[in-house]
Amino acid sequence: MRTSLFITCYNDTLFPETGRAVVALLERLGVELDFHSKQTCCGQMHANTGFRGEAFSQAKRFVQLYRDAETVVIPSSSCVAMIRDQYPGLFEEMGNASIREDYKALLPRVYELSEFLLDRLGIEDVGAYFPHRVTYHASCHGLRALQLGDRPYRLLAKVRGLDLAPLANVDRCCGFGGTFSIKNAEVSSAMLAAKLQDVVSTAAEYCTALDNSCLMHLGGAMHRQYAGMKTIHMAQILASTEDLPAEAFA
Amino acid sequence: MTHAVLDPTLAPPFPEGALPVLRNPQLRKNVAHAMDVIQAKRAKLVAEKTDWPELRSAASAIRAHALENLGYYLEQFEARCTAAGGQVHWAADATEAREIILGLLRQENATEVIKIKTMTSAEIQLNPFLQAAGVGVFETDLAEIILQLGDEEPSHIVVPALHINRGQVREIFARQMGLKDLSDAPHALTDAARTYLRQKFLTVPTAISGANFLIAETGGVAVVESEGNGRMCLTLPRTMITVAGIEKVLPRYEDLEVMLQVLARSATGERMNPYTSLWTGVTPGDGPQRFHVVLLDNGRSRMLKRPVERQTLKCIRCAACMNSCPVYRQTGGHAYGSVYPGPIGAILTPQLMQLQHAKSLPYASSLCGACYEVCPVKINIPEVLLELRAQVTDNERRQTVRFLDPLYLGLRVANLVFSRAWLFHLAQRVARIGLRLFTQKDGWIHSLPFIGAKWTQTRDLRGLPRQTFREWWTARAKEAK
Amino acid sequence: MNDSASSRQRILESIRSATAPVSSEPGSENAPDRRVLPRTYIRRGTMNRNACVERMIDRLREYEAEVAECTAEELPATIAAQLASSGKHIFVAPEGLPAAWLAPGFEWKVDRGMASEEIEQAEGAITAAFCGVADSGTIVLHHSPTEGRRALTLLPDRHLCILRASQVVETLPEYFDRCQQTPMLATFISGPSATADIEMTRIKGVHGPRFLAVILVQDEIEEAQSGAKAS
Repeated sequence: MRTSLFITCYNDTLFPETGRAVVALLERLGVELDFHSKQTCCGQMHANTGFRGEAFSQAKRFVQLYRDAETVVIPSSSCVAMIRDQYPGLFEEMGNASIREDYKALLPRVYELSEFLLDRLGIEDVGAYFPHRVTYHASCHGLRALQLGDRPYRLLAKVRGLDLAPLANVDRCCGFGGTFSIKNAEVSSAMLAAKLQDVVSTAAEYCTALDNSCLMHLGGAMHRQYAGMKTIHMAQILASTEDLPAEAFA
Repeated sequence: MTHAVLDPTLAPPFPEGALPVLRNPQLRKNVAHAMDVIQAKRAKLVAEKTDWPELRSAASAIRAHALENLGYYLEQFEARCTAAGGQVHWAADATEAREIILGLLRQENATEVIKIKTMTSAEIQLNPFLQAAGVGVFETDLAEIILQLGDEEPSHIVVPALHINRGQVREIFARQMGLKDLSDAPHALTDAARTYLRQKFLTVPTAISGANFLIAETGGVAVVESEGNGRMCLTLPRTMITVAGIEKVLPRYEDLEVMLQVLARSATGERMNPYTSLWTGVTPGDGPQRFHVVLLDNGRSRMLKRPVERQTLKCIRCAACMNSCPVYRQTGGHAYGSVYPGPIGAILTPQLMQLQHAKSLPYASSLCGACYEVCPVKINIPEVLLELRAQVTDNERRQTVRFLDPLYLGLRVANLVFSRAWLFHLAQRVARIGLRLFTQKDGWIHSLPFIGAKWTQTRDLRGLPRQTFREWWTARAKEAK
Repeated sequence: MNDSASSRQRILESIRSATAPVSSEPGSENAPDRRVLPRTYIRRGTMNRNACVERMIDRLREYEAEVAECTAEELPATIAAQLASSGKHIFVAPEGLPAAWLAPGFEWKVDRGMASEEIEQAEGAITAAFCGVADSGTIVLHHSPTEGRRALTLLPDRHLCILRASQVVETLPEYFDRCQQTPMLATFISGPSATADIEMTRIKGVHGPRFLAVILVQDEIEEAQSGAKAS
């Protein structure tokens, strides 16, 4: 089983430990990993801010880069949602028949991380050990765009030592929304404050998610407030074992 | 409290419009409470309705079909309504609609009108226009009375006064109705309204309404309500004037079997609202003997051209979208600066304004998608928001002032950087070095200048790690050799 | 108004240029094709007649409407009892109401074009109905001579509605199936008027009758026995 890792522009720059965890996890599960060093961005930031021409050129670049990949795994639901939901419109509007065909052929081979583990590898118990109280934040792209459903919960349920605290109002947006967090920073912060009430009241040690974008927003505020909780991408929980605890990836 | 401005040509951009609301705990509490109540009721009834997905599909299809064939159905409606004794007028824009209505009132020598709540009349700013022309306008919906007497603006399209609590209502009624001893118990307040309006219903000969649906095959009009003031206005007066957007058309009477089921559940979390009235033209001996329909375009027909925009017109004004919106939850309706707030307002208002105004509204969303999930006619609101963002950006990016806008500049640079791997790698190194300036000893950034301050005003940012993932991978690969 | 006519032209042209081509005559061969519209939602109910009528009664009681049941023979007496229990005396009735329903001992105003002010004097109204929808506890009036003009069931504070079991259907689509002709006037009543505009607290009886009473006439028992289909 081979897969090509698309780390995403922001994970590459801001959360390399998530990438290291994905590598450790997948190699432990016997997957051979490729990493195309020319990768940059899926185009989501530009698409969501209305820069469609720019988003198109990044989308085209992505499709061309991964044309021959057996599969592509992406530890970010929002990027996968971009590829699934917005690429068709961009290619329809600005692409040609060739790129549309390449995209159509590539699409079924693109996986978000939890989808890759459960749907592609058919593995629920990845052999992880993470003896902490954890709450799971369902980011909107994963919840609604990708319809991940119970995948994250099934994976977390098999992590030994993990105490899962349910999050109230789990389907309510944390307020990050990409550039929304800057353009509407005050409203974003108000949504964040409401979300943090639910997160902090779980009394968990860690808040996890499948997207570092939400975690950057939640974690940034909790750090500012000395709230006593950390954020951690689920890849790092799943990669964690007795011999190689999550801190090792940091 | 600052008076909300619901005129898109005058309202401040959304981020600014939201500020006074964000600092108002009472209002935020009222909004959240109202949303929670309706959402809970809706969820229970949707779970009970085993064919809910099929109803949504049918509702969406009926509305889309009506819009695809709008010219046909509007003409059919006009012919049937006229044959039944009604008069149909066509208004290209708000100005024309107001003038038609005033003209009809002058024909009647009307000095007063009673009104059923209609967002369409608020859209064309009818009330101030009529008052200025010397016509007394009496709203008859409880929420609208509260707003009118309290000189307030609506903040929700189904529960317009949800931002006002009982104490505030008591204060308004006591003052304006001269009821010093009025209690703030909701039933006492409602009784006060009932008494206040009774005489008006029985004596004012001219009424103005909106329409929830126009039935093409019969020329009928349907009004959906809870309080009974609608029935009063459309039964007792001599003359009835209904103003309706052209998109309100349904092909057949039986289409109501779908629309009524999804509307009540979505709007108020009920299986059916208390009263729905259907009338056709004029019925001798029963109800108004003069009936006028004013069909309003005001930017709607332009929206039909492209499917991505056309879907906006499927809206049946249930407000489920705003009841589920996490942004609306924090800001309430006034922040949107339009009579249509929330997710639907964020896409409808800019389009009605042809993107000349309300340009900040498509960005008033985190794109969470909760609205699309609950929309009974399946408007893909996030899709429309993205489309409008693209249009706003296309219009603006060439302007000099935008060229130097930090966000625009940043995105242009980012695109350049993302187009070539070596530039991306260089940019990562530059960012890493540059941000070291702002990184504290704990490895975190607590404060950034300029546009970065928008992040750091409420959040820290972890400093950029020494090594990107790619650098780590490359190093590891080298080691392995 | 001339302006309106030219606006009409402009609006229709704007619509046409944006949508499918449309004929200038409504009802012509270019009528839109409706067969593509999905109708996979529930149209016919699955409850048996008894359960259906029981559901109607339950929903009405949920709205705090008073419900009494009786057979066709018992109807006049049940009406009298209902009216007596209201403690009111002046009632208004539609012109076509069966004479047997005008219980003695009360002041009856029969509507033959009464002015609103006079209807306002009545303390209650009694009418028949066209249909009941059990799913939502909705009573549908078509304002026929036995159901009366709309003001009759609007102004007085009480509405006593006589609903036959054979008129009750389970689902809203079934009501529409029953409309052989589309009504010119229809009022759908689902409980007394209400508002939730003040802090989302549901308050009953803003305008319109605050008291709704329904007499459910079990007219299907005999029909079932005789094997005839309820209609």
